[in-house]
Amino acid sequence: MIDVNGLRKVYGDRPAVDGITFSVGRGEILGFLGPNGAGKTTTMRILTGFVAPTAGTAQVAGFDVQENPIEVKRRIGYLPEHPPLYREMIVRPFLRFAATVRRVPSKDVASRVDRAIERCGLQQVAGRVIGNLSKGYQQRVGLAQAILHEPDVLILDEPTVGLDPSQIREVRQLIKSFAGAHTVILSTHMLAEVTVTCNRVLIINEGRIAADETLEALEARGGRTRRLVLRLARPADGIEEQMRAIPGVLDVKREDGQAGVFQVETEGTPEVSERIAERAVAQGWGLLEMRGITLNLEDTYIRIIQGEAA
Amino acid sequence: MRNILAIAWREIRTYFTSPLAYVIIGIFLALSGYIFWAHLVRFSELCLRFGSNPYFLNQLNVNDMVIRPLFGSLGIIFLFMIPAVSMRLLAEERKTGTAELLFTSPVTTAQVVLGKYLGAAFLLLAMIGVTLAYPVVIMTSNASPDMKPTLVGYLGVFLMGLSFLGVGLLISSMTENQIIAGVGAFGASLGLWILPWIAESATVTLASLMNSVTFGLWEKLHLGLGGPTLGDLLNKMSFVDHLKDFQKGIFDTEHLVFYLSVVFLSLFLTQRVVDSQRWRG
Repeated sequence: MIDVNGLRKVYGDRPAVDGITFSVGRGEILGFLGPNGAGKTTTMRILTGFVAPTAGTAQVAGFDVQENPIEVKRRIGYLPEHPPLYREMIVRPFLRFAATVRRVPSKDVASRVDRAIERCGLQQVAGRVIGNLSKGYQQRVGLAQAILHEPDVLILDEPTVGLDPSQIREVRQLIKSFAGAHTVILSTHMLAEVTVTCNRVLIINEGRIAADETLEALEARGGRTRRLVLRLARPADGIEEQMRAIPGVLDVKREDGQAGVFQVETEGTPEVSERIAERAVAQGWGLLEMRGITLNLEDTYIRIIQGEAA
Repeated sequence: MRNILAIAWREIRTYFTSPLAYVIIGIFLALSGYIFWAHLVRFSELCLRFGSNPYFLNQLNVNDMVIRPLFGSLGIIFLFMIPAVSMRLLAEERKTGTAELLFTSPVTTAQVVLGKYLGAAFLLLAMIGVTLAYPVVIMTSNASPDMKPTLVGYLGVFLMGLSFLGVGLLISSMTENQIIAGVGAFGASLGLWILPWIAESATVTLASLMNSVTFGLWEKLHLGLGGPTLGDLLNKMSFVDHLKDFQKGIFDTEHLVFYLSVVFLSLFLTQRVVDSQRWRG
């Protein structure tokens, strides 16, 4: 549905997006994850035709964003980071306006607006001025505006920023309900968002793709244990040196706060763990506990962002 | 076409559901109304004083003494008020982020620009429309103004307003800051207004300018150094000069073409500016 190839966008001499390539299939919900300023918004703006790329191509439903912008825009619903709302307008007329410029046929405008209002739960505020609505409702009006013309592709830029927890849950539910019929790209800097709503994650950092995986694959990454926690009854001085001497051990750190607890970085093979246990018993360190640390998704994410091999 | 009208209609709604249209039309009416009233009072005084003298009475003409000066005043009020209308057109869209809705919708930049312009032009039409009350007031009295030159005058003022609006829209497209857009539009319109002052001192002929630019080649080709001066050219570009014939009730296509060209050129440039912003991001 979406094909992005070698996309690059340079502002002045600072590349915001630096050669990214990915594709999204029909019905997929892709989470676009990355720290602030990673290039998420710029990529989305290129896809929606709001900004022109410096190099590379982007295609939506087979139409090139640069060559056939109108055809692309017909198929895209877009919710920018700041919902594009005319604050002085009333919800329903605003949606009618949005439907018209999105080229919904005249005879369908009223029914599409009604449907969007219903789907986004806006029935109670349909007659109110947008500027007087709460942030949560404004965000929903933004969403309604994006789905009015029943686009093939929905692009949502940080749709839950600034909402309270119950609003966040509602908006996520709403996004999930779009799955299947629409292809969704959703950007966020919150990992939790991705785990709840998406089935594929694209981690982007400093304008480049740092990881492109399904959620399961990303979780599996954290499962490969490389760190061990060791608790010893008699942690003598200089014990770190002795442990480092064991083949396969990369680093040893004494935990601050807890007496006798060490973090051991290993190459990740079972043999290493075995050798450490043997040494502890042989030296009479008094091995009380030994366990592997499973990285959670958050750790994996941070490691990827920091450029470590997770 | 439907998109253009939708954008224009939304613009008009915004004007008339907010205080903006009422404040602008209200102030416009108050100022022009006072000016009209002052001229009218002076005219009726003259009529009273010289009414018994048939020679003088023939010299008194309501078109010349009340309606014609009114158009000049409307022009000056426009000069000050149109920047207030035009400044928000595109600057505000950029500032509030609604530009992202317009420019990610399946409409062309030209359609957006045209829609915005038509919306603002409608407000202009409303401003002028309410002043039609003035000639109607005169018609209810014994004086019978000639309606044809009056309508030509109205057309002239409207065309000049459209030109101001075009220039204002162009400047509004260049910035996110409404104050800059407003002051810029006012400065540009005032500059175009006072061109005749500059023109007075520009006595150098265009031919000799061409001669200097081409390092004397012009003269060698015997193309002549006389002809119109730079001042003549500047005069042709002045917004006021082209209004004068309309004020007198003379409809000359030269002036119509001038104003429409200004509108077309500024809309075209606006479209280019907005398009180029896509590349700069």
